[in-house]
Amino acid sequence: MATATITPSTPVIPKNKGRILVDWLTTTDHKKIGYLYLITSFAYFLIGGVMALMIRAQLTMPGLEIVATKEQYNQLFTMHGTIMLLMFATPLFAAFANILMPVQIGAPDVAFPRLNAIAYWFYFFGSLVAVAGFFTPQGAASFGWFAYVPLSTSTFSPGLGGDLWVFGLALSGFGTIMGGVNFITTILTLRAPGMTMFRMPVFTWNTLVTSILVIMCFPPLAAALFALGADRKFGSHIFDPANGGAMLWQHLFWFFGHPEVYILALPFFGIVSEIFPVFSRKPIFGYKTLIYATIAIAALSMTVWAHHMYVTGQVLLPFFAFTTMLIAVPTGVKVFNWIGTMWKGSVSFETPMLWSLGFLTTFIFGGLTGVILSSPTLDFSLSDSYFVVAHFHYVVFGTVVFAMFAGIFFWYPKMTGKMLNERLGKIQFWMLFFGFHGTFLVQHWLGVQGMPRRYATYLPEDNFTFLNEVSTAGSVLLALSFLPFLWNVYITARKGVKVTVNDPWGYGRSLEWATASPFPRHNFTSIPVIRSESPAFDLNHPEASDIVATKKSSKKD
Amino acid sequence: MRTNARLFWAGSAFYFLSAIAYAIVSLWFPYDGLTTGGPSIGEYKIEIVGTAALLMLGMMAAFIAFYLGKTHKTQGPVPEDNPNAKISDGDAEIGFFNAWSWWPFFLGLFGSIVFASLAVGWWLFFIGLPLGLIALIGFVFENSRGQYAH
Repeated sequence: MATATITPSTPVIPKNKGRILVDWLTTTDHKKIGYLYLITSFAYFLIGGVMALMIRAQLTMPGLEIVATKEQYNQLFTMHGTIMLLMFATPLFAAFANILMPVQIGAPDVAFPRLNAIAYWFYFFGSLVAVAGFFTPQGAASFGWFAYVPLSTSTFSPGLGGDLWVFGLALSGFGTIMGGVNFITTILTLRAPGMTMFRMPVFTWNTLVTSILVIMCFPPLAAALFALGADRKFGSHIFDPANGGAMLWQHLFWFFGHPEVYILALPFFGIVSEIFPVFSRKPIFGYKTLIYATIAIAALSMTVWAHHMYVTGQVLLPFFAFTTMLIAVPTGVKVFNWIGTMWKGSVSFETPMLWSLGFLTTFIFGGLTGVILSSPTLDFSLSDSYFVVAHFHYVVFGTVVFAMFAGIFFWYPKMTGKMLNERLGKIQFWMLFFGFHGTFLVQHWLGVQGMPRRYATYLPEDNFTFLNEVSTAGSVLLALSFLPFLWNVYITARKGVKVTVNDPWGYGRSLEWATASPFPRHNFTSIPVIRSESPAFDLNHPEASDIVATKKSSKKD
Repeated sequence: MRTNARLFWAGSAFYFLSAIAYAIVSLWFPYDGLTTGGPSIGEYKIEIVGTAALLMLGMMAAFIAFYLGKTHKTQGPVPEDNPNAKISDGDAEIGFFNAWSWWPFFLGLFGSIVFASLAVGWWLFFIGLPLGLIALIGFVFENSRGQYAH
């Protein structure tokens, strides 16, 4: 079998299709697991997107029956939310963290490679179980993605679909917890010599903080889901409204649910924090402030959960309003730092930068409506309206999708060894940007006019028709923007030019730009000396670096 | 390690303080709608759900901080925390890693059958459980060569 020419540094590439399949199924390589996460979560993104299009089509005009029954409409928005949050965005964090974090700290792999693989397979099969409800006679879960009791009990939502949803998500949640433990351990124990905590790239810091959030908030979700499953299947009365179960579920769910939003946001803040300095030709402005802001956001995010429950009238409004408004401060600090990074920089608008700017614009809108909703008086009239729908789509789509494409375009040469097409990327960006804002900007006004969320239709007399038409038209443009991207991926795989240098963007800062593209099997053949938070920049641009020790003329090429 | 321990100590302090603040605020604004009960001072009640949740967050962070502090003491200075370390200061031998493994895939597959069986029915549970146990044992003992045999 073994040929004598194989040196330790050449990866063994399987030849036939069976070997390739086995290689992917049995992999413990953090990059391959990361790619698996990336591909799977993107597939769920497309599935969830198709559901969103059906929802939008149904709402285009009053009285449509594009979705055959109202029950199916309920299933669509339930599974759209579930898929987008727990099968697309959360695993996407694991994808980027897996691919990049070990390289950024100069490690050959993660601390627990097999646990990492289990985390992926729990997510993969758990998600399959959760969406398998669509193939049952009664259909998938239809009680909304936050599954309020008593609606989600077997009395009001009987059926296999709901049960599969509960237990599938529990399994997938265990996968997420294992992934979080693995990331924390890796960052704590496998950093390269000289890579002190305050020299880690911002993305790695955000991965650490996000993983801490995961181990704080996912166990309550698993516990709550098992309790709900016991109520549904085994006749227990944990969430019985007679003993305050309705409120207990909401507390437990949002104790998970709000930090979950920051689990989605923080890693993507990290991605754009990597991109802004590279395309502004400046170090990140206020590196430590940015990290302290991340820590502050994460810490505060565990204390704001009941702002989702204002309208129950049974939560401490002053406490939760205060903490929710407080969280805007570190978030504002971050925005200030990103703008400060670009300020007086030599900014250029390659696709990763364009996507990052799209993120910044969209996220600020979502952040501002968030401050509006944090005020209980305003929330009482806006809660459960389309204003809230617009708000969280701006926040979540703004961070996750824009920053995801920023990251994909930025690190594509590192992942595959080829650059994506810039022109197609820009066409896609502008289609998606206008498509997104066309879909969701008008929903603010729909909400203010009083259109409630989750209703399958409305009346002509409601005067919601025009804005809904605009919204649906926007969603079509949004959907079409994926065609240039898929074509881009295809054409790059077929005809893309191979990247021969370590740092194709020219001003990369963290360690992944000091190794080959694509990554070698154990990430590095040699690691540069680490004297700042941008070792690759110090290595490639010794004349601009303020680190004297690394100025070695022999390293120039 | 010291930075990490401090990070978790800071988190612990924050959550204990939040728990105290939360309890005080719940006394300060006695709210008729609070039905979750809890210990009361006179006619005022402490909102128990949030207080307990925040206290437990503080405890968890304290556990991790304590463990990291202990590790820092026993481990001594490490090159990754030394700002002037050279790459060659690191240990060449990091540990043993499996190059590939079938067990995570099978543990995921059979684990999902067990979880799905809770929704589907006991008949599937009794098919999934033995398979899941085999996968679990296989995963745990994959690198085992017997006690002290490595």
